Amino acid sequence: MTGAKLFGIVVAVSGMLTIGACAVISKQESLPAWHPEALGEGRPDCVECHEDQIKGVAKGPTTFKHTTEFIRQHRFYAAQDGKLCEICHKASFCNTCHANEREIKPSVFLGNRPDRELIHRGDYLSVHMIDGKVDPTSCYRCHGRANNEKCVRCHR
Amino acid sequence: MKKKGLTSALALTTLVPSLAFAVDFQADGTSIFRLEQRATPGFEKQTVAPFTQFAGVDVDKLADGNLSLHLYGWERVDLGDSSTGEKKNDGELSYGYLRYRFARANGDLKAGRFVVNEGIASEQLDGVAGRTDLAKGFALSAFAGAPVKLDRGSNTKGSFIAGGRGSYAYGSILEVGISGVHEKGGIYEPLTGNKYDRELVGGDFWLRPEKHVELNGRGSYDASTDGMAEQSYQLKLFPLKNVTVSGLYNDADLAHYFSASNLRSLFNPDLGGKVKSYGGAVTWNVAAPVDVTGDFRHIKRSDSIDQNLNGDSNRYGADLRLNFLDKKVRPGVSYHRVEGATGFNSYHEIRGYCMYDNGRYQGSVDGIAQLFKSSLYQVKNAYEAVASAGWRIIPALALSGEVSYSRNPWATDDVRGLVRLTFNYISESKGANK
Ligand code: HEC
Ligand code: HEC
Ligand code: HEC
Ligand code: HEC
Ligand code: HEC
Repeated sequence: MTGAKLFGIVVAVSGMLTIGACAVISKQESLPAWHPEALGEGRPDCVECHEDQIKGVAKGPTTFKHTTEFIRQHRFYAAQDGKLCEICHKASFCNTCHANEREIKPSVFLGNRPDRELIHRGDYLSVHMIDGKVDPTSCYRCHGRANNEKCVRCHR
Repeated sequence: MKKKGLTSALALTTLVPSLAFAVDFQADGTSIFRLEQRATPGFEKQTVAPFTQFAGVDVDKLADGNLSLHLYGWERVDLGDSSTGEKKNDGELSYGYLRYRFARANGDLKAGRFVVNEGIASEQLDGVAGRTDLAKGFALSAFAGAPVKLDRGSNTKGSFIAGGRGSYAYGSILEVGISGVHEKGGIYEPLTGNKYDRELVGGDFWLRPEKHVELNGRGSYDASTDGMAEQSYQLKLFPLKNVTVSGLYNDADLAHYFSASNLRSLFNPDLGGKVKSYGGAVTWNVAAPVDVTGDFRHIKRSDSIDQNLNGDSNRYGADLRLNFLDKKVRPGVSYHRVEGATGFNSYHEIRGYCMYDNGRYQGSVDGIAQLFKSSLYQVKNAYEAVASAGWRIIPALALSGEVSYSRNPWATDDVRGLVRLTFNYISESKGANK
């Protein structure tokens, strides 16, 4: 029951946060529904067009610059700044990799985009036996609670 | 349940054009036809010819202009042998929701099927979600509904899910958040058939003490089994304008991290075990057309009841990405090495590609070799080569195709063909292409 207690605490704390914030909704203007400027091919470098600050965003443009490392660790940013990702990415963009069931692996779906950081390239059926042993924690972000359809053929 | 979702989604799409006069309407589709000769050693030769249609619709500026509708799903039919070894057609409604955006405070309401990413909560649900910024840097989000079930083992997800995140940001220096998820009956114990509630609480932070230093972190506590599930930290340094250095630390306790797994043959919380990893990466944008990334990670698995799963592994490598002629030509090469612990296998991965895209015509070649230390099914290496060609017929319609050849432990001479028709209609020209 400590579980339920902890959950209660979290609910209470977030409730207090709300009241602590005087239950006042911010008066700031929302981000635009869609990024106003068309972006060129490839990964955007926010710093190229935004100097120190992006209007309506507390974090700076360097934070979101799409370097290879940003892309590999995007989970940190997606967890805090979903509202920002949404001004450039439709949910279908994320769904290419984050699917409940999809059948076609990302690198085949986008076989014409070798420049993308797509997961499971090449003979992944072989490689996964090694990657999965070395570190199964990253797999569990997508498989194990969802997207198991393919796995249960071999892993009963 | 799933089929019903898809049918109603299709019914909605037929409704949409009649509404499209005043609204922003976007439809996109990807039709993929694959032709594969499958020759798995020990199995009968098969020809599979699956046709998969992915379709999405986005209707903006509905009602008072702040309401929008978003749908996406796919449907597959097999024209030859079954491509999955099961029924010859399948499909899924990946998402379908209405969204209302408020003009202030980034207020946002969603209803339908969608994915939420809020702190430690990453869930797909049929339900409602809302968020808003509050005064003085606070923000709040919440969601509730039914978790989306899988086709198989559909008794392994709960009946109700709810959660949310509260956060506080101090200027452009700090953001902290706490988040939680509660899923009624979300843990299915296969041995007893009992169901327990899944409960996960956690926190996340982002800190920029100085212009050139950022620290990210998040941790989750599994309240259903009472233990820390995972902790992750990332330190990012920007010593020069075109150099990013990052360090990473990750720590997971599998008894708690895997506690809600519904694929226990693979992700078994009862085996226990810890996975700790640390590493880093350096990205150097040498010049506009040259980008280099080197990365390294050490992974230590310990304390598992199955001793064979314990050990120290390393993963390291580098990527070089180039672009020329106004980004029309984009080649890249990479090398990665995974050095498995004793008892695990190891491999080298070498990849090279070149892509050309002038807006109207596109082509690419891509080759990858994976060289294993110990052979898998008597085979030590896997190779794959893919050639792609594409033609943008009109701005809204593109045709592309790939031919791939591979040799690997599962197939001796595997030739696959794929034809892709991509359709993207936008009723009103926008700043950026969605
Ligand atoms: C090609 C140049 C360019 C790039 C690259 C670019 N932006 Fe922008 N962005 C603009 C312009 C122009 C505007 C609209 C003008 C303005 O308000 O500053 C804009 C507006 C925005 C806004 C809305 C601010 C407002 O006006 O309310 C956000 C948020 C934003 N950009 C985020 C980003 C992020 C994050 C990145 C990197 C992933 C990025 N941008 C990359 C040019 C760019
Ligand atoms: C200003 C627009 C903009 C914003 C804001 C933005 N992105 Fe992106 N992102 C892009 C573009 C453009 C690409 C390149 C897409 C392509 O190559 O087809 C991209 C690529 C990506 C990729 C895939 C890269 C690959 O090679 O496969 C990921 C993952 C990603 N973004 C995550 C995020 C996340 C998470 C956020 C929010 C924290 C975010 N993005 C915010 C514009 C943006
Ligand atoms: C190219 C494939 C790809 C795309 C596209 C992609 N992701 Fe991811 N995502 C990944 C991978 C791989 C991981 C796991 C990374 C790890 O283990 O560190 C991940 C992890 C995450 C996580 C952490 C999940 C968890 O349970 O901890 C979130 C949240 C996330 N991504 C959100 C997004 C969003 C939002 C988008 C779209 C803007 C997106 N991703 C697009 C590949 C992708
Ligand atoms: C970002 C989400 C994501 C992560 C993280 C991820 N996968 Fe996957 N995986 C997918 C998707 C999407 C597919 C496509 C197939 C499908 O959806 O049915 C797939 C397919 C596979 C396949 C089938 C490949 C094939 O050729 O048919 C295997 C095996 C696999 N994943 C293993 C793993 C392992 C092992 C890990 C961890 C090292 C992992 N995956 C991490 C999303 C992910
Ligand atoms: C074609 C059969 C096949 C499919 C499909 C398959 N696997 Fe595997 N997987 C294997 C084999 C064989 C091993 C190696 C077992 C060993 O070495 O003990 C393995 C090992 C693993 C491991 C390492 C764990 C361990 O105990 O060895 C993980 C994790 C894993 N698979 C995840 C997945 C996921 C996730 C999927 C679905 C997306 C998947 N696999 C689909 C055959 C398969």
